[in-house]
Amino acid sequence: MASLSSDEWRAICDKFTNAQNLTEVESRNDPENDPFRSKYKARELLREIYCSLKSFEVSEGEEDGGGESGDPRPSEQPVDGQREDGFGQGFSGDSPAGLRAAKLGAVEYYLGVNHVDTEELSAGQEHLMNCMKLLGRCSVSSENVSLFIHVRNQLGILWAGRDETETAQGFLETAESIYQHYMKEDGSPPTDMTEYFTTEEKLLTHQERTKRFELAYTHTMYYLAQVYKNLGQTERAATYCHSTLQRQLQLNQFNPMEWALNAATLSQYYITKGRYMEGRHCLSAATVISGLAGEVPSEAAAQESETENERREQLRQKRAEIARCWIKYCLNLLQDAKKLLEDNIGELDTDRQDELKRARRGEEEEEEKGRKSALLFGSEDTFDSIASLEEKVRCLFPLDFTEARAVFLVGQNYVTQAKEYFQMDGYVTDHIEILQDHSALFRALAFFEEDLERRCKMHKRRVDMLEPICTDLNAQYYLMIRRQLMFELAETYSEMMDLKLTLANRQADTQSLDSHTIKKFNHLCSASAKYFQMFLDSLCSPEGKVPEHLEEEVLRPALVARFRVARLHSRLISSSPSVQLDNLNRSLENYKYVVQYCETHPEAATTVETELELSKEMVGLLPLKINRLKARMAANN
Amino acid sequence: VMSKNKGSESVKVVVRCRPLNRKEESNGPAGGIVQMDLRLGQVILRNPRASASEPQKTFTFDAVYDASSKQRDLYDESVRPLIDSALAGFNGTIFAYGQTGTGKTYTMQGVWLDPEKRGVIPNAFDHIFTHISRSQSDKQYLVRASYLEIYREEVRDLLDPNHGTARALELRESPDTGVYVRDLTSCVCKSIKEIEEVMNVGNQARAVGATDMNEHSSRSHALFLITVECSQPGPDGRKHIRVGRLNLVDLAGSERQAKTGVQGDRLKEAAKINLSLSALGNVISALADGRSGHVPYRDSKLTRLLQDSLGGNAKTVMVATLGPAPQHYEETLTTLRYANRAKNIQNQPRVNEDPKDALLREFQREIARLRAQLNHRKWRSKQKKEQVEGEGWERDGDEETEGEDEVEVEVEKEAQEYVKLEEQRLEREKEAIREDQFLLAEEKQRLLGEKERMMGDLRKEQEATEQLTAKYKAMESKLLVGGKNIIDHTNEQQKMLEMKRQEIAEQSRSEREMQQQMLVQDEETLELRETFTSLQQEVEAKTKKLKKLYAKLQCIKAEIQDVNDEHVRSRQELEQTQNELTRELKFKYLIIENFIPPEEKNKIMNRLTFDPEEDQWKFQPLVPAESHCVFFLCCRPRTSCFWSWT
Repeated sequence: MASLSSDEWRAICDKFTNAQNLTEVESRNDPENDPFRSKYKARELLREIYCSLKSFEVSEGEEDGGGESGDPRPSEQPVDGQREDGFGQGFSGDSPAGLRAAKLGAVEYYLGVNHVDTEELSAGQEHLMNCMKLLGRCSVSSENVSLFIHVRNQLGILWAGRDETETAQGFLETAESIYQHYMKEDGSPPTDMTEYFTTEEKLLTHQERTKRFELAYTHTMYYLAQVYKNLGQTERAATYCHSTLQRQLQLNQFNPMEWALNAATLSQYYITKGRYMEGRHCLSAATVISGLAGEVPSEAAAQESETENERREQLRQKRAEIARCWIKYCLNLLQDAKKLLEDNIGELDTDRQDELKRARRGEEEEEEKGRKSALLFGSEDTFDSIASLEEKVRCLFPLDFTEARAVFLVGQNYVTQAKEYFQMDGYVTDHIEILQDHSALFRALAFFEEDLERRCKMHKRRVDMLEPICTDLNAQYYLMIRRQLMFELAETYSEMMDLKLTLANRQADTQSLDSHTIKKFNHLCSASAKYFQMFLDSLCSPEGKVPEHLEEEVLRPALVARFRVARLHSRLISSSPSVQLDNLNRSLENYKYVVQYCETHPEAATTVETELELSKEMVGLLPLKINRLKARMAANN
Repeated sequence: VMSKNKGSESVKVVVRCRPLNRKEESNGPAGGIVQMDLRLGQVILRNPRASASEPQKTFTFDAVYDASSKQRDLYDESVRPLIDSALAGFNGTIFAYGQTGTGKTYTMQGVWLDPEKRGVIPNAFDHIFTHISRSQSDKQYLVRASYLEIYREEVRDLLDPNHGTARALELRESPDTGVYVRDLTSCVCKSIKEIEEVMNVGNQARAVGATDMNEHSSRSHALFLITVECSQPGPDGRKHIRVGRLNLVDLAGSERQAKTGVQGDRLKEAAKINLSLSALGNVISALADGRSGHVPYRDSKLTRLLQDSLGGNAKTVMVATLGPAPQHYEETLTTLRYANRAKNIQNQPRVNEDPKDALLREFQREIARLRAQLNHRKWRSKQKKEQVEGEGWERDGDEETEGEDEVEVEVEKEAQEYVKLEEQRLEREKEAIREDQFLLAEEKQRLLGEKERMMGDLRKEQEATEQLTAKYKAMESKLLVGGKNIIDHTNEQQKMLEMKRQEIAEQSRSEREMQQQMLVQDEETLELRETFTSLQQEVEAKTKKLKKLYAKLQCIKAEIQDVNDEHVRSRQELEQTQNELTRELKFKYLIIENFIPPEEKNKIMNRLTFDPEEDQWKFQPLVPAESHCVFFLCCRPRTSCFWSWT
């Protein structure tokens, strides 16, 4: 900096500080009818800095043997995505020429960002590419690596905004590899670009340098996650989201509640992919980190201050959200295990169970190995609590009732937690969703239960929690939810009915059932039919007319409900022939509907193949039965 | 009229294009890129950068309005039916959608003071209150309005006096009434003037700037909500309440849609990268599957508030606004595509009959309660009066059958009279006490004090009655009775004119619908007919051809058979010859091998040449005829044959 007097240099530094201040602080207060006022001012200052540096360069031209005219690669445009990461070529980053290039590059970079911010994309791109060109002459070193990363981040954003995702990907992936290479080869805390224009006494500490540099790379990860998401590469996107979260935690740059919610959401991705170990890890970390946000203010405190009230609301809501993610973890784990273990009629396949139990040991080892290679969250003080939380619930499929019950209980515990915040009054949809999950937890657990009596009780619990809600809800605003509830209730009653029948048959070897059992059976049967019918009625027009054409999303449920109603009516037990006749006629009527609907709407047939086949058969058989009954009635009269 | 239910209906989409402004006109002679066919409801968009051969993009909508269209046309044709159904108890929503600067505000608000340029909102106000003024007097109405904006996912009440500092409102759900905004101000409006005032207050709070770079207005959505409750005696003799909700929505500029996230999951998001790490949650939740997992990030506030309007219980009209300038081609196309997709959204509108949350019912109850109280008081005062005056107050017992409106007047009058009488009585008694010589002074004092107290009580009671009356009046005045509270100033002729205008609008709408249908059907029939006639011809032609070809085929088949036979025969012959030749060759080889020495054989071989003309091998003469031949023969013996050939 020989020919720049220290005064001149100080002036440049002041201008730079000013420009930064204008961009980052002042611009927030710009009036709405002149939203970029401060940014335009900052731009002027940056241009002035650029001119000063440039003129200084010309006067210093002899020093680097040719200066501008001696550009080693005059017309070459650096294009990323190819192997062009600036290692081992051109000026060394810490040479005077390299430093000068970096400084000019940094001004170009700031000018580029400024133009992009003020919606002048092409101009912004040009400045950023100038920066790339200047950097292209230098090798990566601790003096300029930060700029190498930043400029590529910006170009990535720019191109992604133009829907040129692949171009963006190129820049960002290069930034990633430059970072990795640098950390392997050098790794010392690199100079931040702002330091190019600060006087000696204001240079950053090593800690601050590292923080800024790592943050830039965290952004690279984050942008790549978005690029992969936009390219439809969800698995990669998830990995990069995971890395971003991990880095935020490592570098202590996060808001606990926000971080926790993100980790909990990421767990839902893993769960749906069947990766329960990763899912559990995310959730445990979410719970532990959310604890860092502090205690929930008491109700009394909330009533006294508005900010406490808001904080209370926020903390309670987000913790309840995390609890809901946990519920889904338990539920999906149970349901997936059920799928794995059930035979073709939905009962527990014991051979399969034994087989899986034998394979268990191998899985456990696999889990241990997986844990070691996985991307783990946590800092020194949180690592242990995360691990201990993970131990509270397994990530392997439960294979018998005891194991399933353990998962169920964890899930149920979170149901209670979630319901505390998401109460019926104010959060209808959320509250019901939680109840539906609770019911589904019972349903999955019932599968593992061998004692039919107890299994029946589990289903009864489901009915008890869903039935009152279904009747209380406003039919107009909660049509969809009510339909779901009706269907579920109908199915639950029907399941209970089947269980009761099996139990009765088991106890009494004789064919005849006692009157109490018959009464019970009939009750369950008609309750099931009632809810199926309610579901079907909800599809009718306000005048009660059955729709001629069923919408696609209700097509299958509606036809299945018809079929089930038909079946339930034919199963009702009655000693009175006239009641029997009524039931059979209603049954026939509903079977006929299914057959006729599929005749007039051939596209419907494929959605209910089995039901249609059986319905056709019954439409053929039931009239015979009805006629026989009629004949018997006539004979008796 | 509108209560007829057709089940589901799709969102109505109309498109309006503003004229080129002066600046755009001066930009070049290119002219607008938007062409409109009003009769068919089509928009034809020209790409200013594309070559002439590239086909122009055509979109069909329920109606289109070009630069010359009048505010009134758009209202009568596209909005009026919606307001009518809201008055009949449906939910209705009007969206204005378009890039900033395409005339959204002009369309929705227009110029309030110029009747010709009044937009959808003032016209709707006018419409609602005119409707009420002309309806039967057995109908009671209650009109309420709320105004809110959604800015950066925060709901703000624009009618809250502390708008600037107030906390963001929260969306809640109740089992009875669905999604609602907690603590949202709702103003009862008794006239056009009042509702306009509400709108003005809100607009001022919104403080919309005038520039197109305006961050706030292009990112905030404004919702003006009008609830019209109407109570009418039904055939069962009971009063039934229908509640129509009208949402007038000014959506944020379409250029910011990706950022504000209005489109929810219905429309594709741009591939833009979110810069701030605070949006990491959005990225992650986009990866997680909401069906089997729980995704904590909920729908945008706007989507939740208007969930009924997009695929729910509502009738919806979307007004998309366009700019015709070539430099806005991309944005215009985006707007048209968005509008085109919105056409496919199906709603299931139903009349809201006797909902639990009808405020009108509450008001009616409250009024009945107050009236009962007043009647009670009246009865009490009458009783007392009778006590005072004895038989002096003889009146018919027709109080109970009196018209409701006279109740409070009567009560007031009677109360005043009663008070007067009572005061006089008390004064008289006081006088009497004072004049009573036989009483002790203390006793006198006590009695006088008692009388004073009684006077005080009397006054208090009077005040209470007054308050009650005032409350009753205030409550009742909020309810609008059909044809009573608002005087309809329009005369019969004007009414006729309006009706005719509506008829015309109705007709032009149905005409356009028919035109569109005809166009589709025309195409279909044309296609059908064409295929039909050509098929007939084709069958004939092809049958002929087939016959001809079949004969030919048979000939050729026979020919092939002949040729085959022939070939087989000749092959057999050839084989025979070959065998003979081979045998002879072997025989000759045997002779050569056994009887001719190798050198001799070579010599002979060298001298042999094949004469193609005579088709046989010949011996060359022992002495060459030309010397250079020898040279050739010596140097390149192997080519000799070749040379000799030529």
